[in-house]
Amino acid sequence: MKFDLTIALADRPGQLIKALEPIAKNGGNIISIIHEREEPSGGFVPVNLVVDFPSKWNLRKTIDDLRELGVAIIRSEEIIDTTRITAIFIGKIDMKRLAEAGIRNAEIVGFEVSTPASKNACLKLELEVPTESVEEVIDDLKRIAKAEDALLLTSI
Amino acid sequence: MLKLNVIIVGFGFIGRELVKAFHDKVDEIRRIDKDFKVVGASDSKGYLYNDWGLDLKRLSSIKRLSDYSADYREGGSTEELIESGNVDLMVEATPTNIKDGEPGLTFIRKALSKGIHVVTSNKGPLVVAFKELTSLAEKKDCHLLYEGTVAGAIPIFSLVKERLRGDKILRISGILNGTTNYILSRMYFEGTSFELALKEAQERGITERDPSYDVDGIDAACKVVILANALMNRDVKFEDVERTGIRRVTQEAVSLAKKSNFAIKLIGTIDSQIDVAPKHVPINQPLCVHGTLNAIHIEADLAREITLIGYGAGKETVSAVLNDVLTIMRRKAESM
Repeated sequence: MKFDLTIALADRPGQLIKALEPIAKNGGNIISIIHEREEPSGGFVPVNLVVDFPSKWNLRKTIDDLRELGVAIIRSEEIIDTTRITAIFIGKIDMKRLAEAGIRNAEIVGFEVSTPASKNACLKLELEVPTESVEEVIDDLKRIAKAEDALLLTSI
Repeated sequence: MLKLNVIIVGFGFIGRELVKAFHDKVDEIRRIDKDFKVVGASDSKGYLYNDWGLDLKRLSSIKRLSDYSADYREGGSTEELIESGNVDLMVEATPTNIKDGEPGLTFIRKALSKGIHVVTSNKGPLVVAFKELTSLAEKKDCHLLYEGTVAGAIPIFSLVKERLRGDKILRISGILNGTTNYILSRMYFEGTSFELALKEAQERGITERDPSYDVDGIDAACKVVILANALMNRDVKFEDVERTGIRRVTQEAVSLAKKSNFAIKLIGTIDSQIDVAPKHVPINQPLCVHGTLNAIHIEADLAREITLIGYGAGKETVSAVLNDVLTIMRRKAESM
């Protein structure tokens, strides 16, 4: 799991290396590091890291260890890879029911309906989905298509 | 010295076109097998047999075997021909029957049991009994080649089995039926309805009067079964393929997809799931071919991605059958 971690280090030599140790010790793999020495504020330098941890627990443990060393945590949040999915339903889809049925983990970022009154109405949905949940979301779409007796077209 | 006596079982379109190809390319063939000859041919009503070889010129000019000459044994069975004792290679091109694979299945079983090499363009026997037939061929130390069964002229089996032996095939997807691709292409480019595009396909002789074999994805599912068994070492039966045809694909759906730079295609896929279903394909994807073309996309651990495009039915299938025959000749010549 990738995390965006921003910490504040005292603008003194040796601080960065000290802060990196707990990350390594807790199983973190540093993907990128931005050390903005040009922008110290009140004697502190912000350092932005992208770290791959095996789990959230490893991140939490790292944060505790960093705080113990006196390093301030400005921000820590998971970075979620997303994938855009286009799905087309052919058949009469009840939009209200579609909204109620819910598609877990997916954000609808666009939709277009064609000939809504016909029994072969056509609905195109654009969904933003966490990459790791793509299969789950497609299963949900299939479940909805089955319940609505519609034909679902997904991308290859 | 290499000397393969060939028989052709089934004298329909493929059988007749193959005879023409043998006749036209006899010099090239004789460069591998100096004594190449077709000693027999059969249809559902009888067979021709001549120890000295049939006259390919005469054979390529007739529509029915009974028009050939006195060599025709009316009422004789293909089994008798196979058992005549002087056959080394059988080309099996009887009509496809995916319910029980017959009559091709019996003919292939019989030939392989007698140690006769087999080339077939008939999906039926392979869909019904893939493992049985390939094991039998191995046991009898003879070749069973079937390049013409999937995507006609595209040499998918030769490519993977000979040139990608070191790769693990992770996924195969493709447009495996030219008729549905023609229909969907007409809907995409001309804005016609499914019904009209289907009628056009029927008028042009691209599909049968009963189009369900094509439009309900049956044909594509058969090909998926053969690909999965032959190239991914699966044990897949026809019933294992989740199948959705293209009857419900509307012009509106095609237009909506087109606006987002997708074309709707009937896609056969083999990975964790095995299915045939209409899906939208990005128009800049190499798999997105139109008209009656077929395309197969392979994903392998080392080679990564390979896409093959070509014609999948009709006369082009003869290329696959002829090249299978030549492959067996070459292998036999090399092993001598």
